[in-house]
This record gives sequence, structure tokens and C-alpha cells, in this order.
Amino acid sequence: MSADSCLVRDGRIVEDDWTLVLEGDAAPGIIAPLPAWQRNPEGAGVWVEGDAEVEEIGPLLATAPLVAVRFPAIVDGRGLSLGALLRSRYGFDGELRAFGDIIPDITEYMHRCGFNAFVLPNREQAEVAIACIERMSDHYQASVREPRPPFQEPTTRRP
Amino acid sequence: MYQYNAFDQRFVEERVEQYRDQTRRYLAGELTDDQFLQLRLRNGLYIQRLAPMLRIAVPYGLLTAIQLRALAEITRTYDKGYAHLSTRQNVQINWPELQVVPDILADLARVQMHCIQTSGSCIRNITTDQFAGVAADEIVDPRPYCELMRQWSTYHPEFDWLPRKFKIAVNAAQADRAAVHVHDIGINIRAGDDGRPRFDFLVGGGLGRTPVIGSLIREGLPEQHLLTYLEAILRVYNRYGRRDNKYKARIKILVRAMTPEKFRAQVDAEWEHLRDGPSTVPDEEIERIKACFVPHAYDDLDDETNLLARQRLADPAFNAWMRNNVAAHQRPGYAIVTLSTKATGVPPGDVTDEQMDAVADFAERFGFGEIRISHEQNFILPDVPQRHLKSVYDLACEQALGQANAGLLTDMICCPGGDFCSLANAKSIPIAEAIQRRFDDYDYLHDLGPLDINISGCMNACGHHHVGHIGILGVDKRGDEFYQISVGGNQASDASLGRILGPSFKRDDVPGVIEKILAVYVDNRLDGEPFLHTVRRIGIEPFKTHVYGVDQPTQMRRAG
Repeated sequence: MSADSCLVRDGRIVEDDWTLVLEGDAAPGIIAPLPAWQRNPEGAGVWVEGDAEVEEIGPLLATAPLVAVRFPAIVDGRGLSLGALLRSRYGFDGELRAFGDIIPDITEYMHRCGFNAFVLPNREQAEVAIACIERMSDHYQASVREPRPPFQEPTTRRP
Repeated sequence: MYQYNAFDQRFVEERVEQYRDQTRRYLAGELTDDQFLQLRLRNGLYIQRLAPMLRIAVPYGLLTAIQLRALAEITRTYDKGYAHLSTRQNVQINWPELQVVPDILADLARVQMHCIQTSGSCIRNITTDQFAGVAADEIVDPRPYCELMRQWSTYHPEFDWLPRKFKIAVNAAQADRAAVHVHDIGINIRAGDDGRPRFDFLVGGGLGRTPVIGSLIREGLPEQHLLTYLEAILRVYNRYGRRDNKYKARIKILVRAMTPEKFRAQVDAEWEHLRDGPSTVPDEEIERIKACFVPHAYDDLDDETNLLARQRLADPAFNAWMRNNVAAHQRPGYAIVTLSTKATGVPPGDVTDEQMDAVADFAERFGFGEIRISHEQNFILPDVPQRHLKSVYDLACEQALGQANAGLLTDMICCPGGDFCSLANAKSIPIAEAIQRRFDDYDYLHDLGPLDINISGCMNACGHHHVGHIGILGVDKRGDEFYQISVGGNQASDASLGRILGPSFKRDDVPGVIEKILAVYVDNRLDGEPFLHTVRRIGIEPFKTHVYGVDQPTQMRRAG
């Protein structure tokens, strides 16, 4: 994480009260890699790669206060499936954080897949991200945010 | 024709503003080239060899006269007064400036059009039969299902950042005019025993560097499960498709690596979580969309057999056009007309603003104001009363749209190639032109019968060369443009991939090679046998030997 990086949580820029370590041990307030977190989960967050097997990690992570998913490139959408499944299939309801190669425009997809926190490269981009998340009024499909697609709500589909 | 409601209209308008803001941030230096690349691609904007290229979505190839006039106006205002009909039933303009693209999108939104997901690694425009809704051999009208899938795939939260582009095609007629065997997902719709439609899913077909025919993984899916089953396929692909090598990232590679059986099992396991969930489509939604595609107010007409017979006898050119460019309609007294863009000397699929305006007029005068674009890059007038066919033909000829070559050799599929595309190894348009010049005798062309020549300027296969009866592929040989030729490909329901004849040829030699291939066909065909069947019966050896000049008997026979 660079010194400039800026956290958006639940639609607002906030001071990050967690420290993510790419390698190292878990401890309260630390977001640790999965093996370290499994050894010492008490009070710690956990981070995983976007291509992690959700069938394996989903049941383990349900009790974590925070799961961070790394997006290695803006074009890599695997973390979107991972986030959506953690929320919708494994009932994860803690902080779901996206970090890695993130531009503001991608956060809207992440948000709809259940992420509620995003690490942007700087404050300016964090502000743009907040605007991006709310730019579209409606969507055609179900998502973690809108579990029922619009065609299940007839009044919104008909003018 | 699907009509936007307030929801759909607001959606495209907000998308325009979103893209306008992205363009502004890019021009202000807030987005890097690489970052903006991904965003502009998802709005159809490529930066090509000479200029940007903007690909405009024409969902399943369906346009109104109003939309076509708007496209003509856009080419006048922002471009050079012409557009290109693509092999994915879309429209491309080749000279828009990056900073005015948001204005073009705003103009498109006013006529219920957009460029969403016309490029990039996402679900692309869903294609179908250009005769959908009017074809005499249709089983089910596929258009409401295409629209349902279009809406579902538009700006999907999870599937807009796939390993690679993703193309879905739908066929619902006896003859497959949508090439479903060579798509990432090909869907065949048929009628179930209860009269309700059933969906068969083929996955992992495709062209490009590794041509494959799709594998059947699900038969007889009822319509309400369409979206949940698609979601299951896309989720498996998004999670497991390769991302380390873009040439191995299409779903066909995943299906092959897993085997179709294991892929199917994985999709089924995923689907178990989704089936009967909230994305199961209620009947009311299917009915709502179907209501946009009710049959037009057709007149009670009789077939004009006698009139047409007299007109055909009086005008051999009209006769040839009737034979090749006019297809049977569901309703008596009506016909489906293909207006060929394949005039000699014109790049296949290129149309001028004037032609677009004229076709819009034809659609209103001789139909219900609808036009289709076929993946063979032609315009279709779907509802022409038979008594007006001669007038349509005469007017089309005035617009250089009366070529009687639909489905024949000179009705080639051709990508923009090295003249425009930065991916191409070689030019493709001059090849098409040279072949058209060589074969300009309609009687000879008709005698040859149905013959697809498909030309791609590189292995990405935008010109679908693998499934041309004769396929031509541009290759680079130490900086020179060469062309590899294959025979025996086919895009229809008995799909097959062409086999390469041998070493590639220089550009100037290509028309002569085609001539030799056709000579072998004419020498060997049985009575009434189309080219493809002859190739399948005799194999490629006779073509190979004659083309490379070692087959004395064939040459002697021809000399005799």
C-alpha cells in the first residue's frame, strides 16, 4: 500500500484502522494472509487472492471481521465472482474490501458484487470512486446489492 | 421490435454521461492510456491503424428506419459519410474523433441505440437469424429471448471483466443462419412436446487461432431457466478461464482442457445453487418482451406467382436476383429481400449515408419500417409484398444494392483487414475486390451455386475464414502479405471447419487459385451437387494437387 492510498468504506472516505501485511503474522488490527490468519484469527482480518477457491475458503471466513480480496489487474474479474459468492452463498457479512490494481470506475462492479470497502491510489480517485458507485440508477440484473432483478418488481419495469 | 420503456431509456442516457465523464477524465490526464483503454473498449471504441473505430450495437441485427436514418446522419456529422456492416450484425464507423464520441453516444441514445459492450472482454452483442420472426422455416421467434439475454448481459456486475470476449448466438429455424456451432455459447431453440420452447446449449465453439465446433452440454432447458443457466456457465468461465495467455483465454480452451463432460458437470453443480432463484424469469416478463415482437399488421395477400413469373421472364437480371436474394416469408404474398452490399470495387459491408437513407425509405414504403443486418454484411428487408419486388429491385439497383449475389461466391464475408485494423497481418478488402472482378458473370456464379468465401486478415478470424466453403486467411511471411486457403468449412447446422490446402499464396495469385479450386469442383460435381458436398465426397486431395500443379489428369481433362 502506498502512503497516498485512500480507503473508501460504505460510501465515505475514512482513515484506515487496519494494517494489511502481504507477508507476516496475524494480530488484532492486522489483515494477514490466509495461512497466518488461520493460525491466529483472533481480532485479525484476512486477505486472499481473487482466484481463491471459494468452496474451500468460504466456510472458514464466515467469522472473520474483514476479508480483503486482491485484484491483480483491472481486467481481472475473478475477485468479483469471489466477492459475490462469499456474500450470497457463504453469508459473509463483515467488511469486504477490494485492494490491488483498482481504478474508480471498477468500484461500481465491486460494490454490486458485495464489496463495501475499496483501497484507491489517492484521495482524488477515492472521491471519483464514490461518485462512480452511485452513477447508474438501475441495473438489469440481480446482484448482491439487489438480490431481486427488476423483472421481479413489475412496477419498476413498466413506465 | 423492442421498444425502450422509461427504465431502458434512463439506463442508456446515464451510460452516455458515465462515458462522457470517463472521456473527460482521460483527456484531463486523470486516467492513463491503459486504464482508459478498458473503459473505451466497453463502449465500442478502438484506436485503429488510421483513426479510432466506433462499433455501434445493433442488437441481433434489428433496426428501425428511424434508427438507420440516425446512423446515416451520424456518418455525415461525425464521419466521412459511410459505415461498415460487421459480421456480428453491428455497424462500425471508422473516423470518429475520440472527444466527440460522447456526443455520438447521446445521438444514438435518442433513437434507443448504444455502443455498450461492443468490444472488450465481456458479453458482446447477441446475434441471431437475420430472418427471425419472418422466416418460413422458423420454429420459434428467437428475438424475445435475444432481448431478454441482451438486458441480462448489459453491464452485468460479475461478467464484464471476463478472460476474453464472449459471443452468444441463437438459432430457432430449421436452417441455422446464425452459425451457433462456432460461438462461445450457441443456443438452438426448438419446440418442446408441450409446445413451449426448449433451449439446447452448445459451448466452446469458436474461430480464431483454434477453431472448434461447440459441445452440446444441455438439452431441452425450459425458458424460465435461461438466465440462471447462462449465469452458471459464465461464472464457471469467469472463475476458471485462463488469464495468463490471451490466445488461450476463450471458453473453448477451458472446455477442451476440462473436457466437455467435466465442464458440463461443473456448470450443473453451479446451476443447482441458482435454479428457481430470483433470476428465474417469470412468464409476465417473457410476455412483456414478446409483446414487442407481435406480428405486424399484414394484409391478407395471395402469392403473386403469375406476376412474378412474367416479370422474371421479361428481365433475366431480375430473375437472377429473385433466385438468389429473395427468401420465403411466413405470410402468403410477402417475401424477404436481401440487399447485397457486395458490389464489385466496394469493400464488403461498406454502405454510404445515401444508401442507408434509401434503405430506410424502402423499409417504410415496402414493409413496416424494419431492417435487418445479416452476419453476411447485407441489409435485409423483411416484409416486402411480392407485388412490389420488381420495384424494390429497380430502386435497389439505382443505389448499387441490387447485386444478385446473395449466398453466391461474390457475396463474401470479409473483415476490414490491414487497410484499417491494427491486428491484421494482411489486407483483406483488395482480395475480395480482386475475386469480385474475376467472377462477375452472374450466370456462371449461379451455375456454381451456394458458395461462401470468407476472408480474414489475421488469425483472429473476424471474417470467419474457418467456416467459409472456401476460406482465405492473411498471414505474414517475413513482412510480406501471403494468403492461406482452405476448403470445406461450413457455418450451417452441419457445421465443419475448413482444411488448409497447403503453402500460402501471394495476393495476385489468389483469384487464380480460386479459379482452379472451382475447376476441380465443376469437373467432379455430380448433378446438382453443391460445392461443399463435392468437397466432402472427394476430399481435399484433388484440390491440392490441381492448385499446386501436379495433377495432370485434371488439367488434361480441362484442356480437352
